[in-house]
Amino acid sequence: SQDVSAVESSLAIRPKEEARELWQKYETATRSLSAGLCEQLRLILEPTQATKMRGDFRTGKRLNMRRIIPYIASSYKKDKIWMRRAKPSKRQYQVILAVDDSKSMAEGASSELALETVALVARALSSLEVGQISVLSFGADTRVVHEFEKPFTSDTGVEAFSRFTFAQQKTDVRKLIESSLSLFQTARNNAAGSPTELWQLEIVISDGVCEDHATLQRLVRKAQEQRVMIVFVVVDSVRESSILTLDTIKFVDGEIKQERYLDTFPFAYYLVVRDVRELPGVLAGALRQWFAESVEGA
Amino acid sequence: MMEIDAPDAQQQTQIQVKFVTRDPEIAVAAAPILVPTNLKRFGLSQVVNHLLSSDKSIPFDFLVDGAYLRSTLDAYIIQNGLSSETTLTLEYVRAAIPPKFLTSF
Ligand SMILES: [Mg+2]
Repeated sequence: SQDVSAVESSLAIRPKEEARELWQKYETATRSLSAGLCEQLRLILEPTQATKMRGDFRTGKRLNMRRIIPYIASSYKKDKIWMRRAKPSKRQYQVILAVDDSKSMAEGASSELALETVALVARALSSLEVGQISVLSFGADTRVVHEFEKPFTSDTGVEAFSRFTFAQQKTDVRKLIESSLSLFQTARNNAAGSPTELWQLEIVISDGVCEDHATLQRLVRKAQEQRVMIVFVVVDSVRESSILTLDTIKFVDGEIKQERYLDTFPFAYYLVVRDVRELPGVLAGALRQWFAESVEGA
Repeated sequence: MMEIDAPDAQQQTQIQVKFVTRDPEIAVAAAPILVPTNLKRFGLSQVVNHLLSSDKSIPFDFLVDGAYLRSTLDAYIIQNGLSSETTLTLEYVRAAIPPKFLTSF
C-alpha cells in the first residue's frame, strides 16, 4: 500500500561518497557566511543581565534599600542588606534543525538550498560551542538523523546528508512539530544547569507547502507555551513560480474561496530565502527579535 | 492534546495543479495553484470558471497526460503512483457534449 512505499522510499539513503562530496562542497561554499552567523549568534546569546545587582548578602557593593527598615526594626538582626553584582550565567541552547525530505523539495533547486542551509547553520552553531544540535528529517515520517547527545562534526554532517533523498511522498509538518516538542521536553529534562537559561529553538527548512494550517496554528501556540521558538525557513528556489505568489482554492459551503497561500501560514516567524547568502542576516534578525521579546516577557 | 487530535472540519488535502489550454480565449494564468484533491471534472470546471471570472459558466473536460480525467484527482494520483508532492498539469478543453458525470459529483 501507499504507506509502505512511503516508508521504504524514506529509508533509502544516499551513497556515503556522494554524501561526503556534497557536505564538503556546501561546507566550503558557506564557510565565511557561517563564521558571520556564528558572530551574530554570539552577540545574541551574550547574557544581557550581567550587570544587575542582586541581594541579599551581609557584605556587598550596594545597599538594598528595601531591606533597611526591616533591618532597623529587627534591632539590626536582619542584616542581609547588601547586594552583589550577579554573576552572568551562560545561556545554553538546544537547536533542532528539521529538514524537509519530501519529494516536492526535489522540484527546482530547493533540496540543494536546504542542504546548503544545514551546512551553514550547523557549522555556525557547533563553533559557538554553548549548546546541542539535533538534525531531523521529515516527510511522511519524522526521523532523528543526528541526536542532541552527540557533537556535530564534519563526519556527522556527512552521515546526516546521506539520510536525505528528498523522496518522501508526504509533508507531515504536524507530525514533525509533535515529535519535536516531545524531543525538546526530554532534552530539557536531561540538560545540565538552570532551565531558565536554556534556549530551545527549532529551525524548519522546507519549501513551505504543508497542509492543515489550523491544526498547525494550535501546535505553534503549544510550542510557545513550552518556550520553544520555531523559525520556519522557506527555501524558495528559482523555478517557474514562487510561494510568495502561490494561491489556494478552497470550497467553503460549496462556494469557491481563493486566497494567498501565505495568508494562512501558521508559523509566526517565517523567512523566505532564495539565496543562502541572505540567510545569516535574516535568521539572526528573527532570533534577535524573538530574544528581545522573550526577555521582556520574562 | 485532545484538540490537536481532532481532525479539522475545513481540512482538505491539496495538490498543486497547473491549468493549461490550447485555446487562448479561455486561458488562465499559468502559475500553479493549490486545489483540493477530492475534486472531479465538475469541481475543476468550477475552479477554472472562477479563475476566468466570466459571467456564464463554461463546462470543461480535463486531460492529464493525454487521457480524460474521469475520477477525483485523489484517485488519479493513487492509480498512477503519484503523490500530492508533485505538480499536476491539467489541460482543459470545452466539453464537447453535455457532461455525463454531472450527477456523480
Ligand atoms: Mg513537500
